[in-house]
Amino acid sequence: MADESAEIAQGLRRRDPDLLDRLIEQYQHRLLRYLVHLTGRRELAEDLFQETWVRVLERGRQYDGRRDFTAWLFTIARNLFIDQQRRRQVPSEDPADPDTAAARQPSALELAMQHEQSERILAGMERLSAEYREALSLRFQEGMSLEEIAGVTGAPLGTVKSRIYRGLSALEPWLKGAGL
Amino acid sequence: MNGDVHERARTLIACGEESPWLAEHLESCAACREFDGGAERTARALRAIPITAGWSLVFATQMRVRQRALELQAQQERLWAIWICCAAVTLIAGFTAAALWSGLAWMGERISLAAPVWQMSFVVFSLLPTIVTAILLLARGTHLADNEEV
Repeated sequence: MADESAEIAQGLRRRDPDLLDRLIEQYQHRLLRYLVHLTGRRELAEDLFQETWVRVLERGRQYDGRRDFTAWLFTIARNLFIDQQRRRQVPSEDPADPDTAAARQPSALELAMQHEQSERILAGMERLSAEYREALSLRFQEGMSLEEIAGVTGAPLGTVKSRIYRGLSALEPWLKGAGL
Repeated sequence: MNGDVHERARTLIACGEESPWLAEHLESCAACREFDGGAERTARALRAIPITAGWSLVFATQMRVRQRALELQAQQERLWAIWICCAAVTLIAGFTAAALWSGLAWMGERISLAAPVWQMSFVVFSLLPTIVTAILLLARGTHLADNEEV
């Protein structure tokens, strides 16, 4: 793991395009999944996906290889999302507001539903606030440790634990089918 | 107090942390056991959600990154050229200043000028290009501003 991170750091310092091609392919699904959950919109997630890799190229020299590359990558993606939100000043949709949810176009998340339980959980996830979605996605989809999540989100460990707990609790009715 | 115990247990469950205290609590608390099962199912369902990047997105990203890499490389090369020019100018300026100093000192000695006089001449000669350039730039700026107003 440390060797791999060091190798990535070396390649990023050289701005090696072949390494970047390989990393884009290697992290394509994980990064997109994280961004879809973070933004709640597939189109925005795809824009940010591209922006993230351009930023990785530009800021690659800042990656020293001592930190896990995945966590560093996700931090960049997260910061880009925050910048984008600040620039656009988009009024945030209240995920708990059924009118807003019903008025939305079907998202790629909905299209991607395959299993019944996943479908219910997805529906629940879309109604969670971004920080809970993010914590759950990093924990259960990306398999990150609590410390890594704290590193990516910049939140204290206690807050991360609380977000995971509250996120799971909020999904409970959806799991039972009562939320639909 | 009781609520705190359940919340503590559920936070431990949610975060996947194991402890003898939690095991003991789960044995005696049906609600937290149910939460434990639900959390596990939710985690499984989350892992099963299929969100994948299409090849077109990956390809477009790779092309964009390569394009940006070329731009950065060109920028880097231009920066190198600027650094080399700066270094050359500094070197030439150093040699010129030394030659000017020696020349003025020699001339001052030949025509018996007081040291402060030829030293002041050195300062004026050194600053003259900068002053002339500044005046020209200012004049050009004023000229441009006049044109913009029109």
